[in-house]
Amino acid sequence: MASAVGRPSGRSPVTRSVTERTLIVGSASAILLAACVLPLLWPLIGLATGGRGVDLGLIADPALWSLLARTLVVTAAVLALALGIGLPMAVLVARTDVIGRGAVLVLHAFPALLPPLLPALGWFHLLGRQGLIGNEASTAILFSEAGVVLTLGLALAPIVTALTALALWNIDPSQEEAARVTAAPGRVATRILLPAARPAIALAGIVVAALALSEVGVPTFLRARTYAAAVFARLGGVDFAPAEALLLALPVLALTAMLLVAERWTAGGRSFATLGLRSFRKAPMALGPWRAPASLFCWLVAALSAAPVAALAWRAGWDGFAELPLWIGNGVSNSLLPAALAATVIAIVAIPVGHGLARRDRVTAGLDIVAFAAFVAPPALLGVGLVALWNRPETGWLYGSWLIIALGYVGRYAAIGVRAFAAACAQLPATIEDAARVFGVGYGSRLARIVVPLHARAFIGVWLLTLLFCLRDLETATLFYPPGQEPLPIRIFTLEANGPETVVAALACVQAALSAIAVALVLPLLGARAAR
Amino acid sequence: MARPRLATALAILLTILVGACSDGPGPSAGEVVAYTSVDQVYAEPVFRRFEEKTGIRVRAAFDTEETKSTGMLNRLIAEGNNPRADLFWSGDPVRPFVLIGRGLVAPYAPANAAAIPATFRDAQGRWTGTAARARALLINRERLRGHPMPTSVRDLADPQWKGEAAIANPLYGTTTMHAAALFATLGEDEASRFFEALKANDVRIAGSNGEVRRLVVAGEVTFGLTDTDDAYEAVKDGAPVAIVYPDRQGMGTLVMPTSVVLIRGGPNPEAARQLADFLVSPDAERMMAESAAHMPLHPGVTVPANVERVENIKAMQVDYGEVADTMNRIQPWLRQWVGLPAGRQ
Repeated sequence: MASAVGRPSGRSPVTRSVTERTLIVGSASAILLAACVLPLLWPLIGLATGGRGVDLGLIADPALWSLLARTLVVTAAVLALALGIGLPMAVLVARTDVIGRGAVLVLHAFPALLPPLLPALGWFHLLGRQGLIGNEASTAILFSEAGVVLTLGLALAPIVTALTALALWNIDPSQEEAARVTAAPGRVATRILLPAARPAIALAGIVVAALALSEVGVPTFLRARTYAAAVFARLGGVDFAPAEALLLALPVLALTAMLLVAERWTAGGRSFATLGLRSFRKAPMALGPWRAPASLFCWLVAALSAAPVAALAWRAGWDGFAELPLWIGNGVSNSLLPAALAATVIAIVAIPVGHGLARRDRVTAGLDIVAFAAFVAPPALLGVGLVALWNRPETGWLYGSWLIIALGYVGRYAAIGVRAFAAACAQLPATIEDAARVFGVGYGSRLARIVVPLHARAFIGVWLLTLLFCLRDLETATLFYPPGQEPLPIRIFTLEANGPETVVAALACVQAALSAIAVALVLPLLGARAAR
Repeated sequence: MARPRLATALAILLTILVGACSDGPGPSAGEVVAYTSVDQVYAEPVFRRFEEKTGIRVRAAFDTEETKSTGMLNRLIAEGNNPRADLFWSGDPVRPFVLIGRGLVAPYAPANAAAIPATFRDAQGRWTGTAARARALLINRERLRGHPMPTSVRDLADPQWKGEAAIANPLYGTTTMHAAALFATLGEDEASRFFEALKANDVRIAGSNGEVRRLVVAGEVTFGLTDTDDAYEAVKDGAPVAIVYPDRQGMGTLVMPTSVVLIRGGPNPEAARQLADFLVSPDAERMMAESAAHMPLHPGVTVPANVERVENIKAMQVDYGEVADTMNRIQPWLRQWVGLPAGRQ
């Protein structure tokens, strides 16, 4: 580290550091500007330059507010279910000796690897009137708001589990070891582990709430009216009116701002001490007599999570899988390339922005809000903006290739990467960086030589997490994918229109397998980092 | 150690970027870009046949089932300032009017257009109909339980079928067009009363026509209003269903030719004209009849036994341009009907 100090230069270390910071944060800002801010604001720009007017009376319609209230109740229930399942699962899988915890985690994660409408279809094959175990009662529950809550809650709970488990693996084990001397496992979990993972839990909560709030497909399929459908009707219907869609999205964006404030309040300004690299290999807590019931709970949740995917595999049957080569096209590579590039860009952008956010920097806090607005806004709204912004003769090289899909993914999911990296940075006290700064180490060097190495596991985790979100994305790229280059989820849903149901189900299984393989390939890297 | 790794990663990233951009700024002369709301499973083989015949590559973008007909339409509108598509093959004859209204259409009468009945094409060549679908009732025979077979769209509102029928969301797809056709045919008062009666009868609103089929086949409802291609898929799968063309004794059912539209300023106009010629040809109509139970509009095209000929169906007497106008006008009312804020009147 010292070698970076005091290299001869015409400028003072402080000036150099400020210049470096301006360059690095400026570059990240430019990417977020191109992918999030301008596309999202485009309907307003179009309006100001002579586009179709907006019916402001829309916002005063009582039907709008009652729909919003209804949607918030459903969202709150989804969030409660996801947290109720995800938090105990995270503690049990990450920190205890439940039986077969690796397998439990994999099975539990499956539905989160798919666009939520596919698990909903899986539940339909199981619980529909003529489903595998369906009857009148099960179908009545499935096709209701309770069905939406159950489907989305189970599909999104793995996000809570994964983010919380990652945080738990990073927590300073000495606190836990001290507590375990006298306290029972339950008390250790509620008093030590979960409070220490608060930033990650808050992040998971806000991600789940945002996804539930913006979901259109599942509520429509299960006969529940939601606010997102009202926004989508201005973009996907005959009455194409992006500016009105933006107007309708404003209450949701305002709610998101409130959630962000709540999240800041929950996470607080404190850092969360970690020894990190050792904790990954630490021996799990012995549950003693609670091991059997805890294991039963985990396996029950895992079975419930995997059930819709298993139903899809059952529906696909041998015929569906046998016909895959005829139907899959280039779906896999069309998914992987833009997703991998977007995940890489997001992970790189997340370093300065996430780090700044964790250190309460105002500029990066602003960037975080912008990225979050793009995450929460209806994906079709972002898509319309991306088309308007990038479909020009001079940017045809980008708009005509899969790079536009990658840019769309960056716009939609940058917030996830930034937040996840910020949560990791918040677990490390700033003292090491402060010491380096005192010795004249520049901003870029501090990021490259202190922040990234110390958070290498978080960096890989951010890459993997955003990759998974990009791979499962359906709505963002629908409006602008280059002809002939549709990602797999879009291919599944274009083939769903009168394509063989067995093949559609088999393609859904491929979609889950694709993400599972990505996880299987990257997880050992996380483990290797921990072992080093 | 870290620097060589970083360099390798950057080299890989650069390679990917170069590869990504190798597609060039747009389609070459030997290509045509087609957007379509015709189901991918049916449209793709037709495009492949065109490629075999002409050597011109078709780069296609398809609608998802949930945004059928409007997703691609709105993409065309969004891309209007710098069109990327050469041709739009619409699943119905009404969406082209939205494009015409926005000045996005280049008139062209395909080579075989003269053989298409005048009702199903535009005299100025702005759109030309080809292989057609109709609206149909799909009925689960096992759930009839002795009740007489529904024969009219009005049966959807019949209290004896309370909670037992389904239609797709009238904000999207062909159901919007059908709603508009009912408003145009029955008049606004009677049509709005009919829709309110549907609501009172607890008719299930599905996300798409494909979902209506799924609900009927799975026995979630006894019958539903859908498109003939969706209905025939259920028959093909061996489901215990019957297809009824509604209102044979009354106003008839809505016939919806797929429609070919050339996009003004598209990058490959000559290839687009060739593709339009092919899509409006007996050859393409035969393919659509065999794979998707679409009714040919050219006389003399042979059809499989399970496909009705368009002249054997009692069709609603509608002017598609008027239906398009009505469709735009009733959008706020329809939004209110499905429980969403109405917006501008």
